[in-house]
Amino acid sequence: MASITLDKLVKQFAGQTVLQSLSLHVPDGAFFTLLGPSGCGKTTLLRCIAGFHEPDAGRILFDRDDVTTTPAHRRDIGMVFQDYALFPDKSAFDNVAYGLRARGVRGDEMRRRVGDALDKVGLHALASRLPAQMSGGQRQRVALARALVIRPRVLLMDEPLSNLDAKMRLQMRDVILDLVREANITTVFVTHDQEEALAMSDQIALMERGAVAQLGSPEALYATPDNAYVADFIGSANVLPVTVTSVDAGGRLRYRFAGCEFDGTPGDGVDRGEARLIARPEELSLTAASPSVANGIEGKVLRRQYLGAKTAYRIAIADAAELRVELPSGHAAGGIQTGAQVQVLIPERSRVVAA
Amino acid sequence: MMRLDIRWWPWGVLTLLSLVLVMFFVFYPLGVLFANSVRGEGGEWSLASFAQLASDEDYRAAFRNSLVLGATVTALSIGVGVPFAYMVARYDFPLKNLVAILPILTIVIPEIIVGQSWLLVFGNNGLVTNAFAALGIELPSFYGWTGMIFSMTLVYYTYIYLGVLAALRGFDGQLEEAGLSLGTPPLTTRLRVLVPVVLPAVLVNALVVFTLVVGNFAISMLLGSRVPLLSVMTYNTFVSEMGGSPMLQSAMSMISIAIVAVVLFLQKRVIERKMYTMTQGRAPAAERVGSWQAMAFTGAVGIVVVLSMLPLLVVFLAAFTETSGPVMKWGQWSIGSLARVLGNSPEPIWNSLKFASMATVIGVIFAVLSSYLIIKKKNLLTQWLDYLLVLPLTISGTVLGIALIQSFNAGWIVLAGTSAIMVLCYTVRRLPFAVRNASSTLFNIPDSIEEASISLGVSPLMTLFKVVLPAMRASIASAAILMWLTTVSELSASIVVYTGGLETMPIAIFRQVDGGRLGLASAYGAALVTVILLPIVVAVKVFRIQLFSSR
Ligand SMILES: Nc1ncnc2c1ncn2[C@@H]1O[C@H](COP(=O)(O)OP(=O)(O)O)[C@@H](O)[C@H]1O
Ligand SMILES: [Mg+2]
Repeated sequence: MASITLDKLVKQFAGQTVLQSLSLHVPDGAFFTLLGPSGCGKTTLLRCIAGFHEPDAGRILFDRDDVTTTPAHRRDIGMVFQDYALFPDKSAFDNVAYGLRARGVRGDEMRRRVGDALDKVGLHALASRLPAQMSGGQRQRVALARALVIRPRVLLMDEPLSNLDAKMRLQMRDVILDLVREANITTVFVTHDQEEALAMSDQIALMERGAVAQLGSPEALYATPDNAYVADFIGSANVLPVTVTSVDAGGRLRYRFAGCEFDGTPGDGVDRGEARLIARPEELSLTAASPSVANGIEGKVLRRQYLGAKTAYRIAIADAAELRVELPSGHAAGGIQTGAQVQVLIPERSRVVAA
Repeated sequence: MMRLDIRWWPWGVLTLLSLVLVMFFVFYPLGVLFANSVRGEGGEWSLASFAQLASDEDYRAAFRNSLVLGATVTALSIGVGVPFAYMVARYDFPLKNLVAILPILTIVIPEIIVGQSWLLVFGNNGLVTNAFAALGIELPSFYGWTGMIFSMTLVYYTYIYLGVLAALRGFDGQLEEAGLSLGTPPLTTRLRVLVPVVLPAVLVNALVVFTLVVGNFAISMLLGSRVPLLSVMTYNTFVSEMGGSPMLQSAMSMISIAIVAVVLFLQKRVIERKMYTMTQGRAPAAERVGSWQAMAFTGAVGIVVVLSMLPLLVVFLAAFTETSGPVMKWGQWSIGSLARVLGNSPEPIWNSLKFASMATVIGVIFAVLSSYLIIKKKNLLTQWLDYLLVLPLTISGTVLGIALIQSFNAGWIVLAGTSAIMVLCYTVRRLPFAVRNASSTLFNIPDSIEEASISLGVSPLMTLFKVVLPAMRASIASAAILMWLTTVSELSASIVVYTGGLETMPIAIFRQVDGGRLGLASAYGAALVTVILLPIVVAVKVFRIQLFSSR
């Protein structure tokens, strides 16, 4: 077990800068997720931590040890791959035993630890199967057992669930969480699936083109996105151009949108002038068109969409802008139909961030 | 873009080592050959040898004859191989599964055995010749064009057959159904849909057959009689220039290489232009045929297969036949020939076993290592290694032998006269096949299993041994067996480089046939066929290795 510190990592491939002076700290024992769209550098970063890529600049520390130039096989990591990467000619047992044997663990102790590891992933009965004789989910469990049985300092996983079908994916989330919680091991988990990241992580680093766009708990990323990219990637959001008219020291802000003035909450570094409003569909609400209320704006219901637990509305407002509003289906405004004139309430807690 | 981004330990060092070996044992000998071909008597730069060849009527005839022989055998091989493949791919008939597999075995019958067997059947003292003579009928001479064309076609049609069969099996039957549903009549549809599928396979393999025929030594030598041919003439020039200046043999070798180079260039164009863009689909089910048609199919395919397998039988019959000097006493059995070979001069057998096993071990190790570097550790240097390893394919055995003997008979490394040159010869000649065999498996081993091993604490070099090699175990075994089969029957290069005491079984067969002692030749032949078939039987029956699954 160890914390991981990345200090101004730079990695280039043939002139293309893939990691741009990236710094991060992964606390000891945390389940830490690298999230971001395909091609943003998640795998590259993970492989730098693993030691399969040597960064062009910067340092990597496990606790206080500088491992930047330590070869991968001496870093004491466990790794789980997207394609499972099981040794095709070895049984489940021998796959799991591989790392122990390399560490000189033999005989009864080895057999006991392999047996325990296979038990924990529920595969005791399949110990003698070859990878080709197992399902995708079973293979990924073997891979997990193989990485954990050596009790590595850190566990690295690169999109371990993306080759599984939807149902198995949900199931494996729990398997993974149970195991790493029990082993209390520092985990770096790579995914492009925001829902997976929100559901599993202690902390998420959302990446954008080789840099960290925002770092924080799932709640923080969802509730207080620093910018439109984060708001858009995590969950869905209405992002609208607004003009900030005043920001006061007490953390209150006024902005102008579609000819009206609103109260809002300032994001980091917002100043007067052009900015963006970030409003989650479920934080907006609807009332009758009149009388007009504070922080309300008039609009017309373009479409009402019943989604079971909630109902979504597409509202056209002035200047050809559109808002998506989601209300619980039992809400008082439930009777609003397509074509109705309404007022959309933008709550004061909705954030205005730099453009 | 490939960058020169190399980790020196351990892969860079191993790559350099492989490169140096290939440069020294493949590239350098070719360089020497080229240098000798453009040199005059006094060592000055000169094109005199090429001029001399161009004005030599015999050489021009040999050049013409080789091309004509190549074209004829290729055309006949297509004529036999394509219908054969079509029948096997699309129809069900009795004994189909057996006859479909046997042609693969034909490929491993040494050419020297093929030539020798047909001599035993149709030659001056042959089984059939004698039978007809007893009836008072004199058969036309088998020596010359007839014999060569007949026996080479029976060997080389297999290349066309296997290539076309693979293309037909990868063919999407839905295309044909689509054609039919659009209202084109069945025969037109078949032709229109199938020709583009089969044509590239035919062309590519036809070019292979052509180069093999032009470079063929064993059958040409035994059956060619007085027809001048390039390979035979090159060998004879080598023998007569022995000790003298090697200008003519070098010039002849360069011309042979040039012919192959042109063919390879054409082949590459064919592949690039219109190679199998076929979407992998479901091959149409084989069609059952009616009884008279089934008989015809079985008969036609059966005759070809029986004829191409016949040499295996003939050589054993002859080995156990009583002989008196050059005369085979057919029908009278004896173990005299075998006893003389095994009792008095078994040396060629031991030599063959020794050289072939050494070449197999060295070749497989080198092939596995270099294909690992080429596929898993790509960089500029491994790319060069890849190119250089294809070179031996462009060289006929005779030319390779000449190049090696010219390079290593004097100077700072003398290999001529030692076992080393025989092993070198075998290894270099068959290396490209072993590399191809190892590469095809390595392609299918994902990089991630190596990384998984490294992440578990095993160094990259140990990972090669603990993870990669075990995962490619089956393909190493099949590479080793193929290497063994092809080296133990090698003749054309080794006959150039061998000296007294280094005689191998194929060389012994060649010399005994040359001396008219067909009984002794057959005894060696039987021994050779035995050491070829045994490992195949063991591999297929005991280890269940799919020897011929990837070509
Ligand atoms: N070995 C490599 N050589 C060259 N470019 C690479 C290599 N690995 C990754 N890249 C490039 O780096 C960028 C980030 O890739 P990657 O880290 O795999 O992204 P992600 O895992 O987030 O999808 C991509 O543009 C990719 O093309
Ligand atoms: Mg990735």
